[in-house]
Amino acid sequence: MLRSEKRSLFRFLSIYLSSTFLLFLLATFIFYHFQKHHILDQQYNELNLEAKRINQHLGELSSTFISPLIYPYQKPFDSAIYNVDKEYIFGSFQPKDIIWNQEYYQTEKRLFHLYPVYPYYLGTAYLLVSKELNLEPINDLFHISLLFLAIAGTFFTLLGLFLGRLFIAPMKESISKMNRFIEDTTHEFNTPISTILANIELIETFYDCEGKKELKRIEIASKTLSRLYEDLTYLKLNHNYHRDIETLNVSILIHERIENFKTLIEAKALMLILEIDESIVLEIDKNDAIRMVDNLLSNAIKYNQKRGQLKVKLNREKLLIFNTGMGIKKDEIKDIQRRFKRANKSEGGFGIGLDIVGQVVERYHFKLNIESMYTNYTEVTVIWKR
Amino acid sequence: MEKIVLFIVLVSTVLSAEITEKELQKNCIACHVEQKIPSSLIYRRYLRRYSTHRAIKKNLFLYLQNPIRENSIMPKQFFLKFPQKEASDLNKSMLKESIDAYLEHFDIKRQLILP
Repeated sequence: MLRSEKRSLFRFLSIYLSSTFLLFLLATFIFYHFQKHHILDQQYNELNLEAKRINQHLGELSSTFISPLIYPYQKPFDSAIYNVDKEYIFGSFQPKDIIWNQEYYQTEKRLFHLYPVYPYYLGTAYLLVSKELNLEPINDLFHISLLFLAIAGTFFTLLGLFLGRLFIAPMKESISKMNRFIEDTTHEFNTPISTILANIELIETFYDCEGKKELKRIEIASKTLSRLYEDLTYLKLNHNYHRDIETLNVSILIHERIENFKTLIEAKALMLILEIDESIVLEIDKNDAIRMVDNLLSNAIKYNQKRGQLKVKLNREKLLIFNTGMGIKKDEIKDIQRRFKRANKSEGGFGIGLDIVGQVVERYHFKLNIESMYTNYTEVTVIWKR
Repeated sequence: MEKIVLFIVLVSTVLSAEITEKELQKNCIACHVEQKIPSSLIYRRYLRRYSTHRAIKKNLFLYLQNPIRENSIMPKQFFLKFPQKEASDLNKSMLKESIDAYLEHFDIKRQLILP
């Protein structure tokens, strides 16, 4: 799967799953809340029925004159009777901190029901009935709600994956077509470019030609085309390309690559400053290193001003390439690494250079830092240390 | 010393309770028994109406000072069966003490038990 496909799928899934999850979380919360109240109402209803039973018995006891009067206590309920001044008369328990203005209330472990009595049988104005809160059905409900969320989450994740793949299918097809086109086109480029470059070299070696200036221009244009071919091939094969990681002397490689760009540097009359430490080695695939260095150098030359400055610095910590070009606007620095994004459209290219650099940096866990002042300079640093 | 004081207080409380109980028997219960007036029923009826001993005491005191039908909560039939009481000749404090003893004697809390 391509990076862009992954990103699109990930974005779609995050929006789809987070909104679905939020909706289900809300629905489950409301369901749980209502069901919990329903369970509590059932338990309160039991208290109410018990209160009515006790009240009836109190009425009967009120007309009984044979002592002792047996209080209508029945497990698992506890109850107590209070007079109109809320003073305790009798009961199976004597709770503290009674909430007199609430018909039903709940403490951590118990449920209470305050039942008003009139006429005041045996002086009773208030009957307080209580029982232990049965947490089992509430816990069961909580577990069912969680299970429902888990099942719904799994189902919608799978559905999301299926839908996501369905949505990105047209995009995938377009990308495949484009890749096939690039592959075919670049393949057709290769032979003529190689022929031009080989023949220029032959002319330069064996013939003393009058049009040297024109020949240089042809060489520059051909090398530019050649690098474009290399970049496009690299992007196309990047995923299936087998890397040969080796201990590479980057110092030598950079000298070689600068030599390769010499014609371009001379054409722009750039002042080249080299601060390259010797024998800097990296564990890296040579082609990856070439593509990264070439693209950085190519950009630094391409976007430099005529008779500008090009500084290349290499040491154990970093590779720094500095140019006194047009610079990049501050708000564009973040976007510049995206494929097909170009800081200045007046120069040629497809805008794939920094994308390739970004891919190499990411693959080898380097760090890329771009510092720029618009219309003044750009400094690109690749830091080797992780 | 503290134990002695506590003992004296306890003995005096028991003695005074016994005295009040005797007074109650003499001033109230004896006559009620003789005339077969159901004291327990009267207590329950007052309890059902007023709920607290404080309210019962206030209303009984009013009735006993001026025993007319309007000051009583007993039904009409009750007075057809039992004679209308004459005003008590007990002084106010004696009357209040007797009412207290009466309420204490029939106190519902003493009669209730758990099964």
